[in-house]
Amino acid sequence: MKKLSIIVVLVALVAWSCGDKRSPGRVYMPDMAYSRAVETYTSLDTLHAQGINYNALPVPGTIKRGELFPFPITQDKQGELVNYEQSKQVTNPLPQLSKAQVTEAERLYLINCGICHGKGLDGQGVLHKRSDGSDGPYGAAPANFVSNPTYVNMPAGQMMYSVTYGKGQMGSYASQLSTTQRWMVIQYIKAKQAEASGGTAAAATDTTAKVAADTTKK
Amino acid sequence: MIDHRPIVKRTLLSALLIVVLSFGNKMAAQDGKALFDNNCASCHNVFKDMTGPALKGIEDRVKDKKLLHDWIRNNQKVLATGEPYFTKLYATWKSPMNVFPNITDPEIEAILKYIREVKPPVAAGPNSDNAPDGKMGESDNAIMYGVLTLILAVVAFVMLQVNSNLRKLADDKEGIPSGEPIPFYRNKTYITIFTLFLFVVAGFFFAKGAIGLGRMKNYQPEQPIFYSHKVHAGTNQINCLYCHGSAWEGKHATIPSVNVCMNCHLTINEYTGAPIFREDGTEVNGTAEIQKIYAAAGYDPKAKKYTGNTKPIEWIKIHSLPDHVYFNHSQHVRAGKVQCQTCHGEITAMHEVYQASELSMGWCVNCHRETKVDFNNDKGEGNKFYSIYEKYHSEIKAGKRDSVTVADIGGLECQKCHY
Repeated sequence: MKKLSIIVVLVALVAWSCGDKRSPGRVYMPDMAYSRAVETYTSLDTLHAQGINYNALPVPGTIKRGELFPFPITQDKQGELVNYEQSKQVTNPLPQLSKAQVTEAERLYLINCGICHGKGLDGQGVLHKRSDGSDGPYGAAPANFVSNPTYVNMPAGQMMYSVTYGKGQMGSYASQLSTTQRWMVIQYIKAKQAEASGGTAAAATDTTAKVAADTTKK
Repeated sequence: MIDHRPIVKRTLLSALLIVVLSFGNKMAAQDGKALFDNNCASCHNVFKDMTGPALKGIEDRVKDKKLLHDWIRNNQKVLATGEPYFTKLYATWKSPMNVFPNITDPEIEAILKYIREVKPPVAAGPNSDNAPDGKMGESDNAIMYGVLTLILAVVAFVMLQVNSNLRKLADDKEGIPSGEPIPFYRNKTYITIFTLFLFVVAGFFFAKGAIGLGRMKNYQPEQPIFYSHKVHAGTNQINCLYCHGSAWEGKHATIPSVNVCMNCHLTINEYTGAPIFREDGTEVNGTAEIQKIYAAAGYDPKAKKYTGNTKPIEWIKIHSLPDHVYFNHSQHVRAGKVQCQTCHGEITAMHEVYQASELSMGWCVNCHRETKVDFNNDKGEGNKFYSIYEKYHSEIKAGKRDSVTVADIGGLECQKCHY
């Protein structure tokens, strides 16, 4: 009887150690497998316990190399629209995008914006409207950039305000897109709007060229 | 004789009238929907609170038609008069409504009519896309072979016994004396075969276990929130890089912070898709899982504001490489143009993610041997980085070589990954 119980325990041990998909299993040399240095997913609590201050955030007031200056307008207090109105004055600091940059801006748009605002910028993204015409789970209507005059005529700076701080149901995309990337996406949207409203790509070129001239003037 | 003509005429006329009326009605309703979608729907839903309140029953709440029209056209003006209902409303919602100075009275009526008549959306039925989820049919051949071997072994054993019995019978008949039969468990041949068999089987499992140490294929930890990749990346077609954007930019794919969840879940506060079942058969309450995001983000869905009382979601990392291996996501995703699914499996079909690949060195090396790089061809297409490999370029030009694999450009060098 005793022998039998030992065998049962052994079998159970073997089954447990190799069959459980919920456990990460064992490794040969833990000191070579698990980093002793602070890696991306290390819990910061242990560092705080040792009196080391590290929060993985950039130092306030610093800018990454090659990055544009941050958006100069601060966020409105809740219930106000002062800065939102003021943001209309800010122009897009980027010069006309090159062909490769337009491709990159389109990629960023399709990944980050297209799920709601639609591949064709018509506000019919797959989260809001399925391709078969049924409603998606996202209940609020995303902005239609090509036919709604509010958004067609919206200055780039005000778009930047909404992308940076969020507006209505939309959240802030400052954590997903850098300042440069946000301006790139906005230039892409403006160019597409110009295309859709009958103007050719040349019209878009004109406006962006003017924008670039404005920035140099300041 | 009765003249039917006037009756026919009257019927025709009234039918025409009804058609025209109903057509007109439909036109107005559609108009209202279009107007609503264009002007209101970004902040208002008819049935749910969004940035602004749900609009169903707005005409019952604001009986004064003129006041309602004024409010819709220019809410700032109404607020300036200190109208009690709207002042109170503004104080609770605290988000200023856009002004619509150019909207006409019939347009407002069309919108109100649409709000009055629109039917609430029906939740997706359970039959929409509810294929039974389980892991892809990895039919376990090992068990089948094991059973077959066992049957064959038993048959062989029986045959051997029969054979020895028959020989004994034959010997008895011919008068050749045979010794007392040895029971099979003391027969040396049987013992040897059995020992060898045990040795091989035990060796097999021992080697398998030793190789498997540190490998985590099929590892599927239970995450703090039942986040279904099938719903997000599959049904809703959200790009992998929407949440894991760092896979394009740097070494780690990174888990998104809660604000990325809130981009959508500020609006999507209930799960209405096809039911999801755990492996033990219990149903996942999607709406309750969304509440867990709110708890982590410190968002109060009733008051519709952030309380600041946040707590991190402690997701469990599934795919881990040992510290002595260097792996960079952007190198593979951006430069190498490898699809996420190549290593992570059919993510869009997984409710709970598990490690689909071995992530062993042999697995890495195999892929490096077989994968062709996007070599810069003569037309200047492909990755410009590879232009420094002049020998290969001249070989391609000379027709000696048609492609370059990762191994060719040093993908098998030890110090590429171990340093």
